[in-house]
Order: sequence, then C-alpha cells, then structure tokens
Amino acid sequence: MQTPAAKTPHTHSAHGPAVLLRGVDVRFDDHDALQDVSVAIEPGLRVAVVGPNGAGKSTFFNLVSGLLAPNRGEVRVHGHAPGQHLCLAYVTQASQLDWNFPVSVWDVAMMGRTGKLGLLRRPDAADRALVRASLERVGMLALAGRQVGELSGGQRQRLFIARALAQEADLLLLDEPFAGLDVTSQDQILQILDDLRSQGVTVLFATHDLELAAEKFDRILLLNHRCVAYGPPADVLTQQNLSAAFGGHLKVVDTAHGPLVVGDSGGHHHHSAEGKHG
Amino acid sequence: MVEWLLEPLGFAFMQRGFLAAVVVGVVCALVGCYMILRGMAFLGDALGHATLPGLAMGYLLSNGDRSATFFWALGTAVFTSIVMGALSRNTKLRHDTAIGIVFAGMFALGIAIISSVRSYAVDLTHMLFGNILGVTAGDLWLVLAVSLAVLLAILLFYKELLVVSFDPVLAVTLRLPVRALDILLHVMIAVAIVASLQTVGIALVVAMLVTPAATAFLLTKRFKRMMVLAAGIAAFSGVAGLYASYYLSIASGAAIVLVCTLVFVLVYLLRSLLRPARRTETKSPAL
Repeated sequence: MQTPAAKTPHTHSAHGPAVLLRGVDVRFDDHDALQDVSVAIEPGLRVAVVGPNGAGKSTFFNLVSGLLAPNRGEVRVHGHAPGQHLCLAYVTQASQLDWNFPVSVWDVAMMGRTGKLGLLRRPDAADRALVRASLERVGMLALAGRQVGELSGGQRQRLFIARALAQEADLLLLDEPFAGLDVTSQDQILQILDDLRSQGVTVLFATHDLELAAEKFDRILLLNHRCVAYGPPADVLTQQNLSAAFGGHLKVVDTAHGPLVVGDSGGHHHHSAEGKHG
Repeated sequence: MVEWLLEPLGFAFMQRGFLAAVVVGVVCALVGCYMILRGMAFLGDALGHATLPGLAMGYLLSNGDRSATFFWALGTAVFTSIVMGALSRNTKLRHDTAIGIVFAGMFALGIAIISSVRSYAVDLTHMLFGNILGVTAGDLWLVLAVSLAVLLAILLFYKELLVVSFDPVLAVTLRLPVRALDILLHVMIAVAIVASLQTVGIALVVAMLVTPAATAFLLTKRFKRMMVLAAGIAAFSGVAGLYASYYLSIASGAAIVLVCTLVFVLVYLLRSLLRPARRTETKSPAL
C-alpha cells in the first residue's frame, strides 16, 4: 500500500514560482546556447516559449526537466532542483522516439506511473483507474489497445499529455507539439490545455508561431539565447522585442483585437510557413 | 516416430544438451528483445567475440576448469562493455565505432594468446562454435544459476527496463536510475552470451540474441507477447536443432542457429503473404 508520503515526495511551496531560473548560462563546445537567463514563471499559467530556430528553446526545456545541468546559475522547479522534482512531464519532439516499439497506448500511459510506483511494485487498481481517467480526458481511451505506431500525430501528442496526467504532473513541458499537426488536432490539444489550466497545471509550450502565442497564452517567454522578454503577450510583442529576437523581419500592428505580428511581405506571419522542427 | 524422438534422450549427454539449449535459448531471447528494440545487435556480436581472451586466459590459468573459464569470460564481457561505453562517452566517436575498435582488439588478443599455446587447436574450435554435447552436470548447474539470475532481474525490473528502452527522456524525468539500468542490461547481455558459449559458441551467439527476438517482433505488437514468443521460438530451435545435429551429424551450434534462421524466414514469408489483408484490418481512422 502506498503511504501518503510516497505519493507526494516533495512539498511544494504554496507561493513562489513554478519555474525559476537565475543567471543561467549553458555552453556547448563552440557556442553559448543560453546566456544569463533569469526568469520566474508563476504556477498555473500557460506560457509560450517563442524564439527563432536554434534560439535555445529545447535547451531551456532540457534545463527545466533536469536532463541538462547549467554551466552557471541556478534552476528551481517549485523550489527544488529539477533532479529532485517528480511532478514534471516533458514531451519531446515526436521524431525522437521509435514508433515501431511494441507498446500500446495503454502501456505508454501506464509508463507515467513508473516513477511513483517505485522499483519492484506492480500497478494496482488505483494506478489503472488513474491511467483510464487520463486517457479518457484526452479522448484516447477507445484507442487504448492500439500500438503507438498506428496513431496520427495529434493522437500521439494527446497520448503524451495523458501520460503526463497519469504521472500527476503539475508542470508540463511541450516541445513544438504542433509541428506537423492539422488545425483540428491543434484545437483538440488547446482544449485539453484549457482543461489543465483550470486544474492549476503549469504548461510551457515551445512554438514558432507568434500569432498562436499571442492569442492562446497567458504569458510569452521570448528567447534568443538571452531572455529577450517575459510577460503577457501585449507587453512582450513590441517592435523592439521582436527585432531583438528575430531580427528586423517582423512588425507589430495594433489592432482592435490586440497586437498583430506581420512579416516583411505584409501578410500574416503564419506558422505553417515556418520550418517544422526547431 | 516416437522412437525416433526418444532415441537421443537415452543418452545423458543429450539430455544435458537439450536442457542447456532450451534454458540458454530462452535467456538469450528475452535479453535479445531489449537488444533489438534498442539497436544493440552489433554490440551483442562484438561482446561475444570479445570474450575470447577471457576464455583463453581462464583456460590457460585454471588448466581447463570450466567454471573458472566461465567467470573469466564473464568478467571480460562486462569489462569490454564498460570500456566501449566509456570510449563513446568520452570521445566524439559514435558508439558503433567504439564497439568496432574494442571488439577487434580483444578478439585479436584472444587469438594471440591461443596461438602461443599449440595444444589449443581443438579447444579453440569449441570456444568459437560451442560443444553442447560436452556439457557436464557442473556446467549445467552454472548455466541454470546464472540464467535464473537474469530471469529474476527481468521480472523485477520489467517496467523500468521498458521505460528506459522506449523513452530515455521519460526515464530521466521520472527519476529512474537510468545509468544503473543501462549497466544492468549490459551485464544481463554479458551473462546471456557467456551462458551460450557451450551451446553455440562466441561466433554465433548473436543469432541466439537477435534472431528469435526479431522473429517475435514481426509477429506481435505487444512487448510481453514478444518476449513469450521469442522464448518459445528459441526453445523450439534449441530442441529441433539438437535433433538435426543428432540425425544429420551437423555441428550442434550451427544446427540450432539454422533452425532459428529458418523460423525467421518462414515467419517473414508468411507475413509478407498475409500483409495486405492485415493492413486494411488495423488501419486507423484519420483524425
């Protein structure tokens, strides 16, 4: 039987940021991926992490998830070093996995329980109920028996979100989850993210798409090796910030619905024109 | 027919051979399921060959004592896999390059040791190609004990090994001991290889690791079923191979591997024939 202590191995400070970076540098062999990045992200928000290709978005996620240690500075997740925090789920770009792997949708969602189960324990009825509920919330329960390679791109992303739910994560990192997805799948995922926000789950979402970031997110973190700006979309999307992040190619036009970003050609800055992978 | 099947069982050395072939086949197949999904087939082949200097040293120092030789070989295999890992981590060399360098060097060292002692010739053949009919009761106990240890490890760490194999990033965010699990898998591979030395020998051990697992992979989409099928195919191949060896006077290791290969080819051909029907059946609705 599980003790309550085993269920919540780390107490969260009730106040304070979900993610805190202070003076963080990450250096790879020949270049700086991130330089002096400091940012405090409040819990329960949906944050778009935006920047050009190679701006350090994935590096930022690797830092927060604990896959990567900074060369300088400190990273805290709910007050803990990332390596100590269990309630964090990281959905990497789908291309990094072997989709022929002989596991079903159910198996993958159940993998989210592995950390909390601990070594040597098998899933019990409570674990199965949680996995079932998680799959149901993202509309994937009907496909529970399907092998992962038979899923569409949108179904895969929803499965990973279900796995994060099964993991009882309160911080969800999504690296370019909309790459290659059609609009219907994107809308389904945005609806699930709305649902998660009402539950207080913090979501960090890497994207190229400024329009999406402006419309659907509480905060934007504009990244180009440095933290160019962090705040509500209306504050972040200024001409000055966009020039600093993307160079001179983008312009901001104020409209009745808020700021609108346009490219040099005068047309909408639309994400489908961008590269699929960061 | 019954008499035909029973005749080889009348010999104690054949009984021991059958038991060794089945147990070792099952262990190799189970470990092999992880290996083929993680692209470790070349590592398996290399580790098999790299045990040669250990075998030679063990043989030389313990005057042919089997269990001493066994542990020399096991130690060499574990040592080699650690060196390969360290080499690819600490340099910009790709893992397969590191494997190639270490494996060839170790194999050459083994041949050098053996060639310095003339009377080795026959024993060298046994090391390379196995000598299942020479399995003693003592060998069998040793093989049973280490095989049981591997089975127990798979049973205990089943879900952790699955997560690490499918999604290493998830394993890190779940705070699983990724490094320790990787070492465990490498040690299990080393044990499976050394346990197969007597049945198929180091030259063919990669077939025991890879072929039944690959056959099972073609047959199912669930990992547990894949493991059960692979174990079944390996056990069948061990038994059928020994019968072929007995009646056709083929080298036993080669016979076992040939049966494995034959089963793979049959499954592959049957699957290719049945495939069109299967695809329409499981096609996912577009979303």
